[in-house]
Amino acid sequence: MSRVAYYPGCSLHGTARELESSFVGTAVKLGVDLVEIPGWECCGNTAAHATNRLLATALPANEMAKVKDDMGLERIAVPCAACFARFMATNHEVEDADTAHDVAQVVGRPYAGGVGVLNLVDFYHDEVGLEALEAKAVRPFAGLKVAAYYGCLLTRPPKITLAEDPEYPTHMDEVLETLGCEPVEWTFKTDCCGASLALCEQAVVVELVRKIIVNARACGAQAIACACPLCQVNLDSRQGDIKKTDPSWIDVPIVYLSQFVGRAIGVGAADLGLKKHMVAAEALLA
Amino acid sequence: MTTTIDATLARRVNRGSGENAYKCYQCKKCSTGCPVAGFGDFHPAQIMRAVQLGLVDAAVDSRFIWLCTGCETCTTRCPQGIDIAAIMDELRMIAREEHRVRSDAPFANILKLNYDSFRRWGRLYEVELLALDKTTRPSSLTDDVVMGIRMFLKGKINPLPTFGDRAQMKRMTDVADRINRDKRAVSRAMDLPDTAPLPPASPGGVR
Repeated sequence: MSRVAYYPGCSLHGTARELESSFVGTAVKLGVDLVEIPGWECCGNTAAHATNRLLATALPANEMAKVKDDMGLERIAVPCAACFARFMATNHEVEDADTAHDVAQVVGRPYAGGVGVLNLVDFYHDEVGLEALEAKAVRPFAGLKVAAYYGCLLTRPPKITLAEDPEYPTHMDEVLETLGCEPVEWTFKTDCCGASLALCEQAVVVELVRKIIVNARACGAQAIACACPLCQVNLDSRQGDIKKTDPSWIDVPIVYLSQFVGRAIGVGAADLGLKKHMVAAEALLA
Repeated sequence: MTTTIDATLARRVNRGSGENAYKCYQCKKCSTGCPVAGFGDFHPAQIMRAVQLGLVDAAVDSRFIWLCTGCETCTTRCPQGIDIAAIMDELRMIAREEHRVRSDAPFANILKLNYDSFRRWGRLYEVELLALDKTTRPSSLTDDVVMGIRMFLKGKINPLPTFGDRAQMKRMTDVADRINRDKRAVSRAMDLPDTAPLPPASPGGVR
């Protein structure tokens, strides 16, 4: 059994509770021991890097110093794509000696990098591995057509995320394929959903979401898989707004990758949390 | 409309972000990939040009900088390797420092409340952020009320805050604020405003 530190992030205790319950549920079944960081703090998100760069770099450094020095672990699972990007940015920025010096002042101890950061896709693709995943998939899907939606921060910018193929990534597709799904080729894999503009520029987000879902459906997808709380909540909840002006709109379920994995390896319905979605997804994943 | 030119703008952006706006040669790849380019007053390549030329009104006062989602498409595709998204962040910081945040930029309010919230609790308290946004930005009062109720009923909204290590958060924010303030003060002192009188030429000297 491998041991990995676990950073839930704020969304997983709020709007993305089903991401937390399904992720932890799959980790238990897949034999990965997740150790939550005691007293973890917000990664700072967009608000920090748009306000105070040093604090934005220091917040994840504080968590990774705990992982390395206090917990004695080498890897950390960060299921939220936005948190993941901040952790990766810190690992990149502390390579600069001046930045590392300032960060040590803020955190109260040095952190010079070295903790591996796993996003939701990495967790299944690399930490668990496709072969092990296939072996545990007791209830595989029967060719469900799914569009793997990566959004922005799993892959961009590649100098930070170290993504192999930032414009057309395939690792999530490979995980879905392993589960018996049929990933579709589509155009909007890495387009932006509008992120937290959803709180104040609703018209922009509704239009971005509409384009993404229309393309997924046109390419044959019955559902969209995602690995980011903001992507999920925007694509899921804004379909109600689209319907106000487009009565012929057909809903597309928006499902976390961890929920697909959970369904295939036999995680219980309560942990899968499909009831929490705005667009009904239970029938498709029954 | 009068245009203010601030020849120090690109240098200030450089000192804050480490990015050199002068490397931009206007290929406009950033703008063609930008998801919000069609929704604002300017698009990213125009902002880059404005920074080069010191057009503060266009860059710092634009609505565009408050529409940028930070999707990093521009940064990923720039053939000159400019971190354009970091420049947008820097312009937002300059706008705040100089009290130039425009009134029709609701995202500025969201970012501020978000920043205050995680500093206060150690973690972001989503409900508090939404409630404060509604009280500080009246136009948001009726936004998404029905959806909010539905999400609450589905248990997607946690009414209570969860706490990080608040003592450590306070320590970190205090130190980061101090270092940040000192650095930005030094940075500002290095830029003489254009309107400052030139130093007197030394007798017989060549300037």
